[in-house]
Amino acid sequence: MHTEKPKNSFEPKIIAFVCTWCTYAGADLAGTSRMQYPSNVRVLKFPCTGRIDPVFILKAFQQGADGVLVSGCHPGDCHYIAGNFHARRRFAAFRKLLEFIGVDLNRLQFSWVSAAEGGKWVEVVTDLTERVRSMGPMVEFKELAMEEQWSGTIDTPELKEAYNQI
Amino acid sequence: MTQPIDESIYTAVTVAIQAEAQRILSEGLVTAVVGYASARRKGSTQPIVITDAALAEKLIFTPACVNNLAVYLTKAKKEIPKTGRIGIVVKGCDLKALVGLMGESQLKREDLYLIGVPCIGVLGSIIQPDTAFTSDSIAPKCRECDAHLPLGCDFVPSQQPITPELEKKYAAEIDRLEAMTPAERWAYWKEQFSKCIKCYACRQVCPFCFCEQCLCDRNKPQMVETTPRPAGNFAWHIVRAMHLTGRCAGCAECERACPMDIPLNLLNRKMAKELKDLYEYEAGFEVNAKGPLTMFTEKDDQSFIK
Repeated sequence: MHTEKPKNSFEPKIIAFVCTWCTYAGADLAGTSRMQYPSNVRVLKFPCTGRIDPVFILKAFQQGADGVLVSGCHPGDCHYIAGNFHARRRFAAFRKLLEFIGVDLNRLQFSWVSAAEGGKWVEVVTDLTERVRSMGPMVEFKELAMEEQWSGTIDTPELKEAYNQI
Repeated sequence: MTQPIDESIYTAVTVAIQAEAQRILSEGLVTAVVGYASARRKGSTQPIVITDAALAEKLIFTPACVNNLAVYLTKAKKEIPKTGRIGIVVKGCDLKALVGLMGESQLKREDLYLIGVPCIGVLGSIIQPDTAFTSDSIAPKCRECDAHLPLGCDFVPSQQPITPELEKKYAAEIDRLEAMTPAERWAYWKEQFSKCIKCYACRQVCPFCFCEQCLCDRNKPQMVETTPRPAGNFAWHIVRAMHLTGRCAGCAECERACPMDIPLNLLNRKMAKELKDLYEYEAGFEVNAKGPLTMFTEKDDQSFIK
């Protein structure tokens, strides 16, 4: 039945922020149509892409996501008239900021998936998962989280002595 | 090469500001004037609020007048605007901040009496306020300033600012970083942000950080770690830059106030550059009811969306 998987192979964690009216319904359609897509994706449902704060993406990366997908209604189809138009501008700016900070944008995917596009959902998720799998784990934010100490390097003899006496 | 910058224009500007402040206070046009006065150390200045026409002679303008006084109207001294119409001394960059605040309905134009300063630049650091004003000591923001003469003020001294052409440091630094690989940029910012001690001076000094409760102070849910650990520092600086995107007027006060010399304004400039490329938006002297991230057009670029 199940093919044997090699142990300790890297399975990417993908967080998908989706809007409830389009992409969530699209993902639901993919499920009810019995389409196969990678189980690496964790879907978080929001009322609208306009509700998805850039800080959520940041938090997802900090909490160990290897890839993030943000998906909502096609332009013009927003349940709240203009939520996705606002989101589009916000994320256009945010991805530029992340790029400037040094995050590889291949880990961050934005898409429009309507309630009828179960196939597109499968395609988007599979693409992102395979791309992130080939890139390996997202280590940057995890390494930061591991660092307990405040910056200051203990580089003077006085500091070293004081540190050793703690 | 270090070349001295002629700051003699500021003597005449000081006289004009004093006369105007004296006039508007004695005529009762305004209840207070926010400006600069000399402080105790030689050459240093400090912000001052004057309510008495007799004290108008205290006002000065020198290259050490670095502060953006707009911050006194939104949060630091929130009670000042409540007393009536306020006169305020503004440089071009400060006026852009005020205009942004008017666009965000934090201030009303009719409540302000703007005294503009024909500005040739200010010092980059006032740790040594007595430093000679040269092409080296001038603030980086002034090297690429396009607002030497503030527009739309109630009063501007007649002097014309004549400024030397200087090398654009921010633009050059942004180009340098953009040419790097993501990993190299990450390493650069990691080193810069690891210096951060989370004193929030950048937030306190920013005229646009006027939220009553900052997202970064909230703990239910806690989106941003409050401790000065590397993870929390990264989150704070990313959130700060994102929240100022499309709002920042480029006064660079964050960078000046930072005790750890983190190049904060570099992030703001980069985002300003991106918004100009994407939506042709630039902070200016015109009050816009909506900023670039609070409006949209149907034709916005979506090449990055699948």
